[in-house]
Amino acid sequence: MLELRHVKKAFGDLQVIRDISLKVEQGDVVALLGPSGSGKTTLLRCAGYLNHADSGTVTLEGETFDLHTISKKDVVRYRRKIGFVFQNFNLFGNRTALQNVTAGLTIARKMDRKEAEEIGLEALKKVGMLDRKDYYPSKLSGGQQQRVAIARAIAPNPNVIFFDEPTSALDPELTGEVLNVMNALARDGTTMIVVTHEIEFARRVANRVVLIEDGLVVEENDSETFFAYPRQQRTINFLRDTKWKPEGETISEEGII
Amino acid sequence: MNDRIVTELLESFPKLLMPALSATIPLTVLSFTIGLLIALLTALVQIAKIPVLRRLARFYIWIIRCTPMIVQLFVVYFGFPSIGIRLPSFPAAVLVFSLSVGAYCSETIRAAIESVPPGQMDAAYCSGFTFRQAMFHIVIPQACSTAFPPLSNSLIGLVKDTSLAYSVALVEVLATAQRIAARTYDYLWLYLEAALVYLIICSLLTVLQRMAEKYLERRR
Repeated sequence: MLELRHVKKAFGDLQVIRDISLKVEQGDVVALLGPSGSGKTTLLRCAGYLNHADSGTVTLEGETFDLHTISKKDVVRYRRKIGFVFQNFNLFGNRTALQNVTAGLTIARKMDRKEAEEIGLEALKKVGMLDRKDYYPSKLSGGQQQRVAIARAIAPNPNVIFFDEPTSALDPELTGEVLNVMNALARDGTTMIVVTHEIEFARRVANRVVLIEDGLVVEENDSETFFAYPRQQRTINFLRDTKWKPEGETISEEGII
Repeated sequence: MNDRIVTELLESFPKLLMPALSATIPLTVLSFTIGLLIALLTALVQIAKIPVLRRLARFYIWIIRCTPMIVQLFVVYFGFPSIGIRLPSFPAAVLVFSLSVGAYCSETIRAAIESVPPGQMDAAYCSGFTFRQAMFHIVIPQACSTAFPPLSNSLIGLVKDTSLAYSVALVEVLATAQRIAARTYDYLWLYLEAALVYLIICSLLTVLQRMAEKYLERRR
């Protein structure tokens, strides 16, 4: 359904993404793991055309766009088929929670206001933020802001939603509410690509896991296999370095026992 | 202060208010409005990095900011007729003041827009906005509250700068005070009275600024 092919991106001399291809099927929840600076966020931003890739293509719903030469018109058209959730929420500061959710419908997609509000309220209900619909972002906690941001991403019913470290900017006690919402979306069959440091989330919610390091895919597998039988030494090292432990299990050089 | 001066000041005050209403205020309102439009356009062409226009905008700001306004007034009013452009005092003043406001406020607006976190633009793009939609619906409204205090500064500065139009034969507050004083020789009192007129206008603007800031504050 969504396929990235041979994406490359450098910032000056630094080759952040050497060559990454990634295929996502309808209903997939793909977790992108990797150490800081591995290029996973840049990959996601290139896929959302927020960073301009040096080369590579993206295919969405059978239509292929060249990430380097894509026209402005196509960028807007392509972006209207995706959703994006940011690490720092990036809610529109001049709009209430509900207006944040409906702006993409009324302004960008020229939808009738009433219809947009119905969809907006439905989306806010899904993330449990209906009672805060008239609050400005500055009056919401981080977790609440992120839930509104998720409502904003799902409202236009995109084909796929990109999540860029959605819980990294949150206090630990607030990550749960956001992960729960994402979990619910995954159960509803929402196609999601999630850059995350939440290993447990990747294991429990994602059905596929991709480990990225130095701008390359190190290992890619369904999530059970990925955690139970990592093939690459670098995957084993990564899992060990994150000090992640499934409850009641230990991690050894051979993987998880 | 003797009775004669008191009577004279009371008599001259309405005479100073008249040019405030007929010259200072219209000149300010007109120049500031046109100036803000120029400022917004020149700020946007720089932010959108439109090739040639961007350089033109920088050039314009450079020229206007780095030459004295009174010299600009002289060039337009006394100099332009020699190349066939004859502007009466009022339009000449509007032209110069608008360009001046445009140059200074352009930098204010550009800075305010650039102070809006880039994540706002990213989020707008990912909500399906075009550049223009993102600018006008998301970024500029938020830049307004940042730009408001410095723009108010420019407005208040402009009210006082209009007194420079005296030098191009525009009958405004200062010119009127000077005319009256030339008859009575009460320069001190009449110029103080002229200052009072500016003080009143600018104080009103200061109060308005505070009210508007409170309003903007409530909306976020």
